[in-house]
Amino acid sequence: MTKPAGSLAGMLTMTKPSAGSLASRSTWVSTTSVSSSGKRIQREMVELNLDPPPGCCAGPKGDNLYNWVATIIGPPGTPYQGGIYFLDITFPCDYPFKPPKVVFKTRIYHCNVDSAGNVSLEILKDSWSPALTITKVLQALQSIFTKPDPYNPLVPGIAHLYLQDEAKHAELAAEWTLRFAK
Amino acid sequence: MDDNQISLGVEQEEISDSFICCVCLDLLYKPIVISCGHVSCFWCVHRSMSSLGQSQCPLCRHEYNYFPTICQMLHFLLLKKYPVAYKRRELQILEEEKRSGCFSPQLDAHGCSSQASQDLHIQNNGTAGPKQTHGGDYEGIGNVTDEEKNSVLNTDSRSGDWISVADVICAACKQLLFHPVVLNCGHVYCESCIVKPDEQMLRCNVCQSSHPSGFPKVCLVLGHFLEEQFPKEYALRRAAVQLKQADSKHENPNACATKADTQRKKLSSWSDPVHIRFGCDSCGMFPIIGDRYNCLDCFEKKGFDLCSHCYNTNSKLPGRFNQQHTPEHRFKLVRKDSIRNQLKLVIGDLDDISLALIIASISSEGTISPDAQEDAENRSAAHAPSTSSGDEQDESLSSD
Repeated sequence: MTKPAGSLAGMLTMTKPSAGSLASRSTWVSTTSVSSSGKRIQREMVELNLDPPPGCCAGPKGDNLYNWVATIIGPPGTPYQGGIYFLDITFPCDYPFKPPKVVFKTRIYHCNVDSAGNVSLEILKDSWSPALTITKVLQALQSIFTKPDPYNPLVPGIAHLYLQDEAKHAELAAEWTLRFAK
Repeated sequence: MDDNQISLGVEQEEISDSFICCVCLDLLYKPIVISCGHVSCFWCVHRSMSSLGQSQCPLCRHEYNYFPTICQMLHFLLLKKYPVAYKRRELQILEEEKRSGCFSPQLDAHGCSSQASQDLHIQNNGTAGPKQTHGGDYEGIGNVTDEEKNSVLNTDSRSGDWISVADVICAACKQLLFHPVVLNCGHVYCESCIVKPDEQMLRCNVCQSSHPSGFPKVCLVLGHFLEEQFPKEYALRRAAVQLKQADSKHENPNACATKADTQRKKLSSWSDPVHIRFGCDSCGMFPIIGDRYNCLDCFEKKGFDLCSHCYNTNSKLPGRFNQQHTPEHRFKLVRKDSIRNQLKLVIGDLDDISLALIIASISSEGTISPDAQEDAENRSAAHAPSTSSGDEQDESLSSD
């Protein structure tokens, strides 16, 4: 639970949900009704089906609108080329005021994705804005395929290799792509 | 039925992308213009605000502290332009509000827009009205007679024409808005009509309420719409404004970051006592910083609170959530909470070391008075029984 001191604001935002439960009678904080988040997700689904970003697709896993599965195809010109990556997207019930949770189901050799599939992407954490959509999230994920961010790594070893020896990094990444994503 | 209604609305009215709220991705409903010029729905803005400190615009991350009032001009404009879709949104939001027990303010047509919206009412009775009476089963779009269909189509083709220059005039110069800016109170002016006071906060000429968030930026959504809707008039206004500016060598409005801005910065610092989760129902400050006055007689779920500045001045607008507040209501002063206690409340599960660090950093700024903690304790003791009774009250109300 300890977070590095320094970002007091970040710490407080992290614990914001618990503050809501303590709310007394008269506060300005409102809860998002399930129906309004559902409507928004539905609209995103329609939009995504009409105009999907290249190399991506996403949709609800089953009957539950809040659990989606997405696929991203490894962009050409990267060591992930040709790989098909599956992701689980879980929407919180107060979406879009809280970011969706994104987890890689396919293993990937990438400094911003750990072995459990968690992604370090700023817009899925503190930089989330309710105006962002799943389409934009998928595009952001595609962009870390082409340009990993070694300065905010989840796997420091891979980030280190990427900075030291990019060729070796590419070779390993391509090997993993072949092994896990094809 | 719901789905049918949605598709019906979409079919009849092609909603321009610029009037889609970036948060709910639907037609703007009870629009609010943030001081950066971006527009969102009432509830969308409210829900995306942070209850702990600075809020950010969903689109541009512009920081702001004050919950703006609904822009009535834009509200009635949208109601005229998309009568069917706007009505659908109204029903949908009302449903949600009933479920949550918190209501957005009711907007009544008044002033210059009253005549026009009365016309709209008549139109609605003529077309949408009868449809709604047998709207219980919407299965039959085909059941709608040709006559009705035609009348609906007619209203549609005319809907844009209804909007006249009289609906979109500046509150100061009474001419068509040019480069419209919206103040915190929701009133709309031309950018060139706003006179920047040197020392004080910007003040609205109509309602005298202050605009605390620096100089507002042009609302491009509204500006582009006006340019499209009234190309000739807009061009004329542009020429007139440019001429005027060339004459009087107007100072660049953006250059004046005034006292208001510095004050805002000062308020946002963590050392001030913050009433986390409480907003001022007059100026919209959220969360309230400084003393807070809580209304004892407003029984609504949201309560009614004022910041000390609004309590001491006599401009008390109706509440932001349709509270039935009257001037006779009594107020209770809620003393400053020490930030220490609030931190404990918010980060209760944080380990002691980090908490101590935070407290040390705050108290080094010398803001925690020795009696502040006592105050807070007294308050929480006094608060506990009232909370439970309040809940009972709420329940009894809802059962009615």
